[in-house]
Amino acid sequence: MPDKPVPAFACAVVALNGGPSDAQILRLVLELAKPAHAEVVAVHVVEIDWTLPLDADVAQRSEEAQRVLDVAENQAEHAKFELEAVLVQARDVGAALVDEAVERDADLLVLGLPYRKRFGGDFAIGRTVPYVLKNAPCAVWIAREAMPEEHRP
Amino acid sequence: MIGGRRPLHGRKVADRRVHVGRPHAPYFRYTGPGMLTAKAAASMAPAASRGPAQTIRRFLFGRRLSNEEEAFERLPKKLALPIFSSDAISSSAYATEEILRVFVVAGAGALLVSIQMALAITGLLAVVSLSYRQVCRAYPSGGGAYVVARENISHLAGLVAAAALLIDYVMTVAVSTAAAVAQVYSVVPQLYDVRIEIALGAIALITVANLRGLREAGLFFASPTYVFVGMTLLMIGLGIVRIAGGAGPVTAPPVDRIVPLGTQVLGIVLILRAFAAGSVALTGVEAIANGVPTFKPPEAKNAANTMLTMAILLAVLFIGITVVADAFGIRPTGEGGPTVVAMVAAAVFGDGTLPFLVFQASTALILFLAVNTSFNAFPRLAAILAHDEYMPRQFGFRGDRLAFSWGIVALATVAGVILVIFGGDTHALIPLYSVGVFVCFTLSQAGMVRHWLTVREPGWWWRAGVNACGGILTLVVLTVVTSVKFVDGAWLVIVLIPLQILVFLFVHRQYAASRAQVALRPDQVAPEPHRHERVVVPVSGLNRAVIQAVNVGRSVSNDVRAVLVAEDPVYAEEVRMAWGRQVPGVPLVVVESPYRALTGPFLAYLEVLDHSWPPEKEAPITFVVIPEFVPRHWWERLLYNQSTNELRRALLGRPDTVVTSVPYRREESDAFRRPEAAGEPD
Repeated sequence: MPDKPVPAFACAVVALNGGPSDAQILRLVLELAKPAHAEVVAVHVVEIDWTLPLDADVAQRSEEAQRVLDVAENQAEHAKFELEAVLVQARDVGAALVDEAVERDADLLVLGLPYRKRFGGDFAIGRTVPYVLKNAPCAVWIAREAMPEEHRP
Repeated sequence: MIGGRRPLHGRKVADRRVHVGRPHAPYFRYTGPGMLTAKAAASMAPAASRGPAQTIRRFLFGRRLSNEEEAFERLPKKLALPIFSSDAISSSAYATEEILRVFVVAGAGALLVSIQMALAITGLLAVVSLSYRQVCRAYPSGGGAYVVARENISHLAGLVAAAALLIDYVMTVAVSTAAAVAQVYSVVPQLYDVRIEIALGAIALITVANLRGLREAGLFFASPTYVFVGMTLLMIGLGIVRIAGGAGPVTAPPVDRIVPLGTQVLGIVLILRAFAAGSVALTGVEAIANGVPTFKPPEAKNAANTMLTMAILLAVLFIGITVVADAFGIRPTGEGGPTVVAMVAAAVFGDGTLPFLVFQASTALILFLAVNTSFNAFPRLAAILAHDEYMPRQFGFRGDRLAFSWGIVALATVAGVILVIFGGDTHALIPLYSVGVFVCFTLSQAGMVRHWLTVREPGWWWRAGVNACGGILTLVVLTVVTSVKFVDGAWLVIVLIPLQILVFLFVHRQYAASRAQVALRPDQVAPEPHRHERVVVPVSGLNRAVIQAVNVGRSVSNDVRAVLVAEDPVYAEEVRMAWGRQVPGVPLVVVESPYRALTGPFLAYLEVLDHSWPPEKEAPITFVVIPEFVPRHWWERLLYNQSTNELRRALLGRPDTVVTSVPYRREESDAFRRPEAAGEPD
């Protein structure tokens, strides 16, 4: 008799940045979480510049920031899944994501990565993804968007 | 913490973050710049008003549905058939009897012509159904004869069709319910005396089912329709087998119940009367064309196919029942006697047998459910009329379950009243029934002819031909029905249609006039406020509620005064003394009222203020700020705010006057009484 498959995760933190990859990574995580009855936490981090206090009234006033999580909640509702949405203000996005994952004892952290190129032509991975890959104690999935037509060989 | 920020430390010293509250999240979601979409929680009644009524409502009607769930309320063909066709199919249960009732006055020989009459009516059914199939395809947004006539003939023609349709739907509810109850007391004669109560109860049940939503209504109504069709086909089949085997006239009910054979000559008048009576079989044929948007996609194709299925079923049932009734020599009975279809069933299945009882039950049920066709079509048509501003806008609102609640309730109410007025007698109601139907048929066919002549799509010529043929035939039937049934009751419909149109035009004119009055020109820009604003606060004394209202007034304008209308001069003086000490800067005007009135003197004072204003200056806006005590319990409403309510009603509509209520809550007063709550009342 085959062994019961082990769920991929019990608690996943999904980092949303408001980009087109949000829907894709959320759909992927929800598909896996639903049969396993896993917990999914959608996190959107608003980076606060050092010129402002950390608790400045930025994210709450920002419709854009609120909409990122509202869209995620709506997507989960359509998939008949209840996720927790968390809006965070921090100095550094990567650190905030890792700290959220640690606080929630998550065993998976999922991020989307847009396909961007630096000035000069190299692929730009940014600061957040390397930080998370280096510091997150749990498993990390990075979902990179498809390469645009103009960049394809 | 909702709305709050809680700083959290990370793994590293410098890593701190703050969770930001999302107070909107339980009630709204952001769907665009400056746009919020309400969630179910925002649509619920405030917690304070939730009580047993809300619980009962939820139990009766189920949870609220969002607009996004509307697609799931669409109907597949096998559910749409019973919902939209039960009216048409059920008319086979009494159409034969209506023909026989006319022919019986001409003797047994005339009864033999009933089959030919049924065939003639079925021919008309075929033409009308074919025509309406084209309406389904040409007008997938529904609306039936109203939309077709409005767009192709004139707005007035559309209104005639709409009025006729609405009256027809009301009559459908009344007639079908009465006919269903007749089936019931055909089996249990003792129930004849409570037929009105049974009918009203049935209408109430169907109303609740429809308020629960279209899909749930369909699930509820599907089985009885299919059982009726199955049992009737079985009855016809067995009847034909028995006829082929040589079965002759059956034992009739007691002589005193049967309508006696007459001796009138079977002339053209009688034939036309029978045709008019039997054409009640066509009622309900248009319902599918009205409800095309409720079908699953492809809506028009599914509706047209359902129309064809319905027409075939109706034709088979109608002709079959007529053939079997004729072969068994069945004649109609008088008041309180069994119906013709009940006697046919008794002859075929055997009186009192299980199949007989099942057939009777399914017949009664489908007649009750025929009502449901109107409960779908009437509210939808009323909503379209409301959208076009020919009916009050409330008829366009969808309730909790995406049903047009106002239309459903209005239909149930009017039909119930008609049932009571006519004593639940089917035969008294039927003369009113067919006129509206054939007005719609004629107008929609005429409209379709013009449609094909205008669009000239491939095949337009034969399509126009079909519609023209249908229109001429239904016009002939309309003329016949109106003239033969005029004295019996058709005159009422002839009178009601123009009256209804006058109501439509009145409503339309009202909405157009009010829209014109408040409309802004596209080039107009809203000006800054430029009129002087003054505040008048009616007071009954000096208390926290009054102070709160005065301060609200002060936030509106510097020109604030309080007005005390008092019966007792001594009390008035006490208030004046305290006022001068405790409310500096706000003058108090005392109006003594020796006639013990409150509202009148206050209004008169406002008039005096208006007349005192310099005529060369633009009239000021007067804000009347009324302190109002918020009761915590329902019975406190009887004790407080009676004068306030009277004053507010009197001020409504007063020119250049804005009425503002400032509620004062008892909790605020309790808070001020606590020792730690220091400071001035705000």
